[in-house]
Amino acid sequence: MLHVGGTGQWRSWPPTALLLFIAVTQILLTRTADLSPWKGGGFGMFATTDGTAFRYVRLFVDTPERSDELAVPQSLEDAALRAQLFPSDRFLLRLGEAAAVRERRQGRSVSSVRVEVWKIEFSNTPLRSTERKLRSFTVHFEPAPVSGE
Amino acid sequence: MSVQLALRLTALVLLLRPMGPWTLRPLILAAAGLALLSPRVLMSSWTWYGLTALLAARIVADWPLPDNHVYLLMYWCLAISLALGAATPDRVLMTSARLLIGTAFLMAIIWKGMLSPDYLDGRFFRVTWLTDERFGDAVQLFGQLSQPQLDHNRVALRPMPEGARLVHPPSLEEPSAFRHLVLASTWGIFTLEALVAVAFLCPPGKRSSMAQHAALLCFCGMTYAIAPVAGFGWLLLTMGLALCRADQQVLRGVYVGTWFLVLMYSEVPWAHLMVAWLSSSTPI
Repeated sequence: MLHVGGTGQWRSWPPTALLLFIAVTQILLTRTADLSPWKGGGFGMFATTDGTAFRYVRLFVDTPERSDELAVPQSLEDAALRAQLFPSDRFLLRLGEAAAVRERRQGRSVSSVRVEVWKIEFSNTPLRSTERKLRSFTVHFEPAPVSGE
Repeated sequence: MSVQLALRLTALVLLLRPMGPWTLRPLILAAAGLALLSPRVLMSSWTWYGLTALLAARIVADWPLPDNHVYLLMYWCLAISLALGAATPDRVLMTSARLLIGTAFLMAIIWKGMLSPDYLDGRFFRVTWLTDERFGDAVQLFGQLSQPQLDHNRVALRPMPEGARLVHPPSLEEPSAFRHLVLASTWGIFTLEALVAVAFLCPPGKRSSMAQHAALLCFCGMTYAIAPVAGFGWLLLTMGLALCRADQQVLRGVYVGTWFLVLMYSEVPWAHLMVAWLSSSTPI
């Protein structure tokens, strides 16, 4: 007869079960939602170039009069990093809204903010790099609603 | 003895690499500091349940930014909590350490060998050695590339818009030593990680136990000389030390020595010093 709780050996399993659950979830998110393989607890670091160094974010602010690209300011770096590593609606929306708040604080009007997440890919022979857009997401501000592509 | 030492080193890992937002960081540091100072706090499962919860909160708060070793540290703290509540903490912690290391390395191998499109063909290390400035000294040392060659290659690797091509694209300068470095790092790391995964996931036995220690010590001693993630190395070595039996004093000493070697790797710019020394000793 197996005494499950007798020696307490069952106590060794929950941490590894949790590791496996999170690692499998991470793989699914990399395949379905463009999560960077370096992140999310799947142990995909040092396995691919698709990490922080080769992803970046571009911000475009539109008003009725102008359309400008913003350099990502220091105050938005954290939000931009999250969006580039996991370009989900939630992180892209958060970044777009934060960019709009910042623009308005500086007295500039904003009708929409477009957030683009880009990735740099490498071919092998010859070794060359190309840019590819992973996602584009536009946040509209009054009166238009929020929409994603 | 191994359990207490492993717990102390875990607390030290938490203190040496403070982590998390300011709301969590003081709590993590306080718990780890108290664990180091008080044997009662160190050996209480509640301390480690608390640290597990704080690390989980850190991962959620910062998601998806935390590195993989932060996840492993959280699993390890959970393993310690559960082990300290058992009748034989050392045996439970040994099994946990073995399973966690084996599974983490198995996932790393699955990523490198099956899921990643650019690892086994050498692209990952080719690009990383050439573009990541943190490895600049190591590439000069082992790849025989000069700083001007590295600068030239970095310019040549600047990305083109999708679909665009240059009529005369700049060619990369990759001496044979560099190509050997790419080959050795790609397959050396893959092989070493596979050995660790197999050794730790095999059924426990005297022979597999020695293979585990040899593979893990070899991996940590070599990898963290270059890889700038000392926290990962310390954690793996701490978990490896937890696998030592009471009578394996020499092996415990080797683990502690390697732990401090990784600390030296992270604090002494040895590759930079060697490059500087070699360039000053080379006759003009």
